[in-house]
Order: sequence, then structure tokens, then C-alpha cells
Amino acid sequence: MRPRSLISFLVGATLLAGPGAAGKRPVWNVPVDVKTLANGLTVVVSEDHALPTVGVSMVYRVGMRLEPKGRTGFAHLFEHMMFEGTPVARKGVFDRVIQGGGGMNNGSTRYDYTNYIESAPVSALEPILWLEADRLKALDFSPQNLKNQQDVVKEEIRVNVKNRPYGTFWLDLPAAAYSRWENSHDGYGSFEDLDHADLKDVQAFHSTYYTPSNAVLGIAGDVKAADAFALAERYFGGIPSAPKPALPDLKEPLNTKEVRLVKTDALARVPAIALAWKMPERGSKDHAAAAVLSELLVGGEASRVYLGLVKGRELLLRASGGLNSALGGPWDFDGQPLFSIFALYKPNADSDRILAAMDEIIDAVATQGVAPAELDRTKTKMLSDYYAELEVPLSRADAIAKMQALWGQAAQINEIPKWVEGVTAEDLKRVARTYLTRPNRTVIDYHTAPAKN
Amino acid sequence: MFRNRQALAVLLAASGLRLLAAHEETPLPKDLPPYGAERPIPAPAVTQRTLPNGLDVWVLNRPGFPKVTACMVIRGGNAHDAADRQGLTGFMAGLLNEGTRTRSSRQIAEELQAIGGELGAYANLDATFVQGSCLTNGLPALVHLMADITRRPVFPDHEVELAKTNALQGLQAQEAQPAFQANRAFNAALFGNHPYRYASLTAETVKGIQPETLRALHAERFQPGRALLILGGDIQEAAAMKLVAAAFGDWKGGAGTLAPLPAAPQASAHEFLLLPRPGSVQATLRVGRPAVPATHADSIPLQLANVILGGSFDSRITKNIREDKGYTYSPGARASAQQVGGSYTVRADVRSDVTAASLMEILYEMDRMGTTQVGEAELGRAKRFMGGTYLFQNQMLAALTGTLAGYWVNGLTPMALAEFIPKVNAVTAGDVRRIGRTYFAAKDQTIVVVGDEAKVKAELEQFGPVRILKK
Repeated sequence: MRPRSLISFLVGATLLAGPGAAGKRPVWNVPVDVKTLANGLTVVVSEDHALPTVGVSMVYRVGMRLEPKGRTGFAHLFEHMMFEGTPVARKGVFDRVIQGGGGMNNGSTRYDYTNYIESAPVSALEPILWLEADRLKALDFSPQNLKNQQDVVKEEIRVNVKNRPYGTFWLDLPAAAYSRWENSHDGYGSFEDLDHADLKDVQAFHSTYYTPSNAVLGIAGDVKAADAFALAERYFGGIPSAPKPALPDLKEPLNTKEVRLVKTDALARVPAIALAWKMPERGSKDHAAAAVLSELLVGGEASRVYLGLVKGRELLLRASGGLNSALGGPWDFDGQPLFSIFALYKPNADSDRILAAMDEIIDAVATQGVAPAELDRTKTKMLSDYYAELEVPLSRADAIAKMQALWGQAAQINEIPKWVEGVTAEDLKRVARTYLTRPNRTVIDYHTAPAKN
Repeated sequence: MFRNRQALAVLLAASGLRLLAAHEETPLPKDLPPYGAERPIPAPAVTQRTLPNGLDVWVLNRPGFPKVTACMVIRGGNAHDAADRQGLTGFMAGLLNEGTRTRSSRQIAEELQAIGGELGAYANLDATFVQGSCLTNGLPALVHLMADITRRPVFPDHEVELAKTNALQGLQAQEAQPAFQANRAFNAALFGNHPYRYASLTAETVKGIQPETLRALHAERFQPGRALLILGGDIQEAAAMKLVAAAFGDWKGGAGTLAPLPAAPQASAHEFLLLPRPGSVQATLRVGRPAVPATHADSIPLQLANVILGGSFDSRITKNIREDKGYTYSPGARASAQQVGGSYTVRADVRSDVTAASLMEILYEMDRMGTTQVGEAELGRAKRFMGGTYLFQNQMLAALTGTLAGYWVNGLTPMALAEFIPKVNAVTAGDVRRIGRTYFAAKDQTIVVVGDEAKVKAELEQFGPVRILKK
């Protein structure tokens, strides 16, 4: 869910002129206050008093990459269990109280984190914080709840993957591109692994990863930072601390031999192609340049892939993708992301022609670079989209909580526009040359099956 | 001019500020803190003007955030297309930004990129929308580009040809989606020969399109007297009106009015329809019937009843077939209302072997809405949820301008924003029961299932005769 909205920042927001050639780009500063409680829970707050609403995001620093081996899909199954009630607030209470307070809630599991989000009138803030603290303390570890959510998750996989054409591409790409199990396995999970999950797994996962020191509470909206910290202390402060779980090393070297696969998609009526390259790790010197390059190549109707292959050579019906695009965006991951592109292709195309044309586009960036005007436009569009992602308190709370959990500093949210501003044409050449190479490329060609009727 | 700053003490009148628990529900934790005091919600300030050429202009001022939104709506949508040209308006809208008298599609895309902008058009059943956004300082360029693509599109031959080729292949790709197949069959079953059945473009329409077809349709439909432009963001009304006058003031159009649509059907047959999809691993369900137009007095009570029945995580259908039985991940329900009609739809994708069981529970929950009375606690929660949703949408300028545009199409003013929550809060348990009897009775629903015939036909036959649909 990526809602867009327009919101006033009456407190703490500033509109300043940007640097250099980008002088006309507005700079928007998001207010960020951070406090860590004695038990290790970090609370980040962004005040916004335009409307009496609040967004809340609890981010836990565990995702698909850290789930147990032999338990594919477990992090996501566990996310579902977090909505199944606790010894104190039985099943149904969570949704009933939040919805009855005028609020909405949801959760999602990504590679490196799991988030739980609520948006509500600010009058519901205290019950929401109480409920979040309650399910951090303990869950209702009942066999009925587990069985119920095993069934629900399997239906989720049927509707999103098995019953949908191209439903597997975002699982197939990491499986083919990465070598470490953490990065390459199916994070939605096999039905066998999901069925084998038991209550001991649920308990162990909760006690290992769902601890104050492994969590960040993000709050944005109509609440003063000091008051938000006090509420967090009231509801979360009594939860005992626990050691922060260790993070494994998830890094992998770039690939040295191209991977090319052909798959048949029984449900598809139109052939498709998926491409991926392993990219620089989070926070590295190439990260921002990789994000800008991704925007330049596939970021909309002025991008080089759209103008070159959808228009231009007319090989693709449509194309989409970007840095870490399968389950997030260019800034909310840890470890090493993929830059991926997914495209339906046309009857006059085949994978060789598409790849040759894609190589030409990449070679042009790597050797000739990018004209200042195009680079400038690309940055403007990126900045505009970046602000759009922060418009409502809900998405802002989520963004600052993720920044804190993954980068260790929520205030990074105001640094990223500056990083983008700093990217040069030379950086783009270097990143294109280093990462978007044929040996580092993974290609999956999806053919259609003959019609059954 | 309308500038409403009255405080809407919206969220909660009767059910109070306490958490209420009905006797049949799980008790609430004793330590759970109560909701805090409600804070009044400022209604959005909307200035209304009309240019001499008939173009309505609404300006919504929201200071602070560095982006602006522009939305133009023009009367006439896909339901106004001839029966042999289904979806033509939407296709035409999609080509507006593919070239004007002075700009190629590439120039348009690059000029938009340079202001951090987006600009695109689509049509729904009743109207055509051109929507855009950009960084605040790009507003003059955005309005200028919007005027160019809405007033001076040329539908270049090669762009039309490419769009036709892509649309045909896109339709082919969509045919693989069970939801696409289900929606099309469901709309056809509900609306019969009424143009509200036109859920999508057809291949026959695409094949018959020439650039001239699009130019003629554009000239006929796009007239200032049939259009509204909404600008929203950190903008001052006087400056905004100056931009609008410069870009649209000399726009002239014919005086012809749009022929009104006939009223849509209010009922459809109670039957079980199966659209075979070999190899489907789920049954894609649609249960529903025609309902009421957007301005009908039942529209808001129906939306409220929908929150209770199927339109939320806390709804009865979700609790039943997802949280209790685990039949589905994705249950949902929706009251959809247009200018001359509407529909009510419950949807779910369930594993094939629980098709009958899922339908039985859905129909049971639908009937229960009309046969028993909702408790005050559950009703109060639904009202608060609608209030919260209203607040949430008020934060999102794109959603808010879309709501305002829809109001205009249906003959309402921005005042309807301020009237919405009081109308929600006025709905009684008796009203909800009447809505249940009128719209949710199982005997009145049309049921469409897309699935593997070998797996689900016998399931459906447990209810009675099943009609097999052809695509």
C-alpha cells in the first residue's frame, strides 16, 4: 500500500532552495525526533498537526532473509499470527478496537523487515499503542490460530502466485540470481514448509526477533514528540529487554556468469521476460547512483527503456522495475538488492533481440554518459516521487521507522535527497559499467503454454 | 464561491468515546485505554468559479507540502459509447498525451519529467478524467501541458497504430486474469443491455479504430461547458485562476449537450453462472446485484451496511470465511455507485473444494443482514470506521480531488464533503436492516464463478441449476 496525499507541515517543515543547478527543486525537510527507551525500543516521531490523524508503524528487524532454513515463508506466516490475538486481547479484538476507533491496519513482510501499520484519528492512538505493545509481549500460540493462518496464507499464495500469470517472476529472479540461501529462497514459502511450521517455531521466532531492541516504533501526525515518547514509555517501557539478535552476513559477490532460463507459464497468454542484476549494498558509495540509474532506465514514460523499447523499437508491450522493486523501493532494504525489469513482449520480439537492445541502452550510458538536462530531469522526478511517498502520516511513520531500523538513523530520510543531488554523469557511467554487465545478469524468459481449450 | 471552514465534529456522536463491547463479543482487555477526545476536523476549503466559456474551476488550497495536483473531468465516459464501440472513450483518453499540434509524446514525457510530474487520462463509465501532479513550482507548466493535451491532441497515425497493437495484446494478457474474466461476466449479468455492462475495451472496438474516429470523438466530447478543472495544493486562488484563464480561457466548444443515459436496471436474476477456466487452482467468486445511483438516499446507508457485511477486516464475511474457516485470503465487498445506477459486489478467491461452503457462508451472512438487527456496538464501530476513512482520504489530495470530481459528475457540490459524516452518523440499526432486506437477500443475488469446471461445477450444482458461460 502506497497512499498518496497532500498534507501540511506546519511545524518543523522548511522549504529551502536546493543546491547548484537544481536550484529550482524544492527541498522538504521532514521533522524527526528520536528516543531510545531503556529496554532498547527506539521511538521515532514526526510531528504534523494539519489534521487530527496519526500514522503508526512498528518495524521489526526481521524479514524473509532471516527466517529459519526448512521453514520457507515463515516470516510472513508469523506476520499473520501477529493479528491472531494474545492471551489478554483475544482473536478479533485487534481489528475491532482499531476499526472501531476509525482506524485501518495492515502488515507486510519484506526481505529485511516486517512492518505493522495503522492509520487512525489521533483519538485512537493510545489503544493502538497498547495493542502493539501487547502483541510484542506475547501471542495466543494456539493450534487453531496457526492452522487457520496456514490456510489463509496458502490462499494468499494461490491468489497472488499460483493462479496468476507471471505470478512467480519475483520469486524466480532471486532464486536464479543469488547464491546464499537467505537471499535466494522462496520467501512466500512452499506449502510443505508452511504445513510443517509448528507452535514451537512461532514461539521461538517471537522470542528471538520480536523484542524491544529489535523493533522501531514510528509515529507521525498530530502528536507532540514529547507526548509520543511519554506514551511509548507508558505502554512499552515495562517490556523486558532482550539481546538484539545477530544479523548474518548477507553479502554476495557480483555474479561472474550470466544466468539464462526459460520457463513455461501455463496461465500466460503473452510471453514475458524478467531481468536482474546484483547491485551495490545499502549505503555504499554506489547506492544513490544505482537508484538514479534505475530511474533513468525504467522510471516512467521518459525513461530510456520506455522510449527505446516500448516506443522506438516497439519490442515490449510494457516494462516496469527498478532498484529493489519487487518488494520495496531503492532505500528500504539491507544487504544487496537486485535491479530488476519485468516486461511483456510483442510477437515481433524474442529474448535475444530484447537483450541486444537492452545492452545498447546500457552501453550508451556506460560509454557516453548522460546529458546534464536528462540527468537533471531524472533527479527532479525522483525527488517528486520521493516526497509523494512521504505525503500522509502513515507512510511517513513507516518511512522513518524503516530508516531507523535499517540505516540506524531515521534522519537519513532528509539526507537521501542530497545524495540524489550529488550523483554525477560520471557516477552513472561507473555504476552501469560495474553492475549492469552481462556476467552479472540473470534472465528468465517466460513462454506461454499452448491453449487448453 | 464556497469556503467552508466550519468545524465538523465528525467522528462520533452517539456511540460516545468509550469502547463498547456487545455481549456476544470477546470481552475487551481490562487495561486497554479508552479512545481520547475527538478533535474537530476542518473541512477542505474549496473555491468555486466558472469561466465565461462554461468551464468550472475549483481551487483547493493546502499549504505546506511541495506538490500540487490537477484534475480535469469531462462529462461522457465509456457508457456513452455506442454498443459496437465499447471502451472507445477510454482508448481515446489514453492517447491524449501521445502528441499535440506542437509536441510529440516524447516531448510531453520529458517536459513532465522536468517538473517531477505525471499527467495521464482515463475514462470511467460516466466521465473522462485527466489527472496530473508535480512539484509545486511546476504548476504553471503542468496547467499549460494539461491544456495542450486536452485541447489540442492530434492522435498521430503511428501512435494510434502502436496503441491499437498494444491494446490488442494487452487484452490478450488480461484474458489470463481470473478477476478480469469474472468482472466482465458479472457486469454483463447485472446490467444486461444497459451500457454499464461495458467494463472494458473490446478487441472489436480496437480493430475498428482510425485516427479520425478518435479526433471526431474528442471534438464531440471535449467542450468547456461539460468540464470541471480542480487544482489542489499550496496554491493561491488568484494566481491559480490567472493560470487557468491563460490556458483555458479561449477554449471554445459547441453547445451540444450529452445525451443522458437511461436508468440502469435495479435487479438481476438469481442464478449461478460458471465461467470455465481450465487449470484454475481457485474459484474466483462474485456475488451481488444492481443497486442504486450515487445520489440515491440509500447510497450512504448501503456503504455503512457494507462496512459491517464485507468491506473491512472487522467485517462479518472476513471474520467468517477468512479468520474462522480459512477458505480465502482476499474476501471483500463493495457498493459501487455511478450516475444512473450502481451495483453491490462481494468477492473472494477460494480454493476450489470449498466453493460451495464459501458461497453458503457468504449468502448466509448476506441474509442475516436483513433478518436480524445489528447491535449498537457493531454499528458504532462501522460509523467510526467510515469517519476515519473519510479523514484518511481527506489527507490524500489525489483521493480528495477524485471525490470532488465524482461529486461534480453527479451534480453535487463540495458541500457534500461536509454532509457525508453527519449522514453516516444518522443511519440507524433499523436502516441497516432495511438495506439488508432490500439489497443483500440471498434470493436476489447473481453469482458468478470463474474456475476449473471439473472441480467447481458439482459444487455449484448443490445450489441448483448452473449456467455455463462462454467467454
